[in-house]
Amino acid sequence: MGKASRKSTSRPWWATRELRRGSRLVLELGPIKLELGHGDGEWLLWSQTGPEEDGPGRSRIAVRRGLPEEVHERFVHDGPDRRVMLAPVLGDRSVVVRPRQPVYLLSRQEVTFYLSTPIWLKIMVGTAQLTLRELASVRLSDTWFGPSTRIGELCYANRTHARRNLAELPHRPHRAITPLRIRNNAQEALPLEKISLPVPMLALFGAEDGSLWTQRATLVRDEVSDLASVRVESAKDNADPYGRPLTRLAAPRHENPMAVVRAFSTFFQGF
Amino acid sequence: MLEHLQTLISLEGAVRWGRALVLVVLGLLLAFTVSRLLQRVMRRRMTAHVAQIARRLVFYSVLGVFIAAAMSELGFSLTVIMGAAGILTVALGFASQTTASNLISGLFLIGEHSFEVGDLIRVGDLTGEVLSIDALSVKLKTFDNLFVRIPNETLIKSQVTTLTRYPIRRIDLALGVAYKEDIEHVRDILIRVADANPLCLDEPAPQFIFTGFGDSSLNIQFSVWVVRENFLELRNAISAEIKKAFDEADIEIPFPHRTLYAGEATRPFPVTVVESVPASGPPNPDARSDEDA
Repeated sequence: MGKASRKSTSRPWWATRELRRGSRLVLELGPIKLELGHGDGEWLLWSQTGPEEDGPGRSRIAVRRGLPEEVHERFVHDGPDRRVMLAPVLGDRSVVVRPRQPVYLLSRQEVTFYLSTPIWLKIMVGTAQLTLRELASVRLSDTWFGPSTRIGELCYANRTHARRNLAELPHRPHRAITPLRIRNNAQEALPLEKISLPVPMLALFGAEDGSLWTQRATLVRDEVSDLASVRVESAKDNADPYGRPLTRLAAPRHENPMAVVRAFSTFFQGF
Repeated sequence: MLEHLQTLISLEGAVRWGRALVLVVLGLLLAFTVSRLLQRVMRRRMTAHVAQIARRLVFYSVLGVFIAAAMSELGFSLTVIMGAAGILTVALGFASQTTASNLISGLFLIGEHSFEVGDLIRVGDLTGEVLSIDALSVKLKTFDNLFVRIPNETLIKSQVTTLTRYPIRRIDLALGVAYKEDIEHVRDILIRVADANPLCLDEPAPQFIFTGFGDSSLNIQFSVWVVRENFLELRNAISAEIKKAFDEADIEIPFPHRTLYAGEATRPFPVTVVESVPASGPPNPDARSDEDA
């Protein structure tokens, strides 16, 4: 079993917690640190995002006495509700993944890559689960994905090692892993310079050990084109590639299990 | 004429008046219904502004036909009315050439779809958000919150740049570095700065263009792409980040150098380096003796 499947008996960090008045919730999740204090009729939020490291990251959550020493934002309310939930969600735009080295998928071949994308933290309070803030664990760079500067889609850019072996993946608690199966039905090899992963179409799942997963997505290219049909597997039999059960944590932002999207691109030289 | 008026006042006249009134009311109802229907159909295919213009055109045309019919019912000769209207139109046409020109220009502007309400446009030195495209003029709101009315005729004749047409824009930064600097090193630093800023688009990739040997610097154009909403934010941020990165890497951004040359025939300026004399302290005995001498 690989690094991404360490066992833990404690409650996962995304579980709902009770926060008494005068106490604070402290979370460290990879590069993001936050403190949420329950003051007198207000929630006090402090957060900080550091640089992301390539190696494994750690996740730590605790409820402590006292309010945060430094406060960035205050959310006032009149209710006695003290429930707090830090919910992981996937990004609001597709993520364009670029392999660090050029990768080509030969004609009539199929391959599965394990791609990881950073999650957003949704801070929710109360029984009504009111959202205070949505924080990106890593601020990915903006990028444009399309055939020209006029036609395309605004996405996030991400670099990847395009790993095919799950055991090689470092355990990064702030990233969700997507098994992406790519099938090249065309006569020519498919250069995987950039792959647009339709993250808003994926649901998010959590394993017992705190690792995050999405459904398996399949990109099928039939012709020599940068368009591909995307199929997102149904979420009925939720299990990670190790066969462990998964809990559904967030629904897709856009429900569209079958779609044709611009998934590969070989464009953009001159402008 | 008097006879005609008498007829109108009589019972028969009252009936005619009634018919004419019915025609006008009918015309109003029909014009209202048809124009509304047309607007609803056109909204799906065209912009709200074009649909509104079409609605008005249909409304007044239908109403005009019914008013003409009502007047005919009242015994007015349409030929005379049309003739008078024709003369009036010619007279008005001469008097309102500019208005007519603006009106026609307005139709062309709407037809061209160069910009729409809410777009940011630049006309000459003026940049602002389009508030409305009307029959005679286009109304803008400038960044310093001024309301500007530009006649449609002026817009048709001038160069108009729509800044919000496409979702992404390019920022061109003109830079200069000292002649002693390694251009490749400068290029690497600039690319690193662009990579580090998340607002700077990864694709299209930043572009480094060496533009020439300047008077006192190596001139460079560094172009980065950004989502148009973040244009100003990135332009300000990246300039500061480049300056910081250059300072950290000891890369000199030169200012214009001037060398004074007095020519061969003239002797150089006599420059003597003297030691600084303290402002206070014991007087120099040598200096005093010189003065005494």
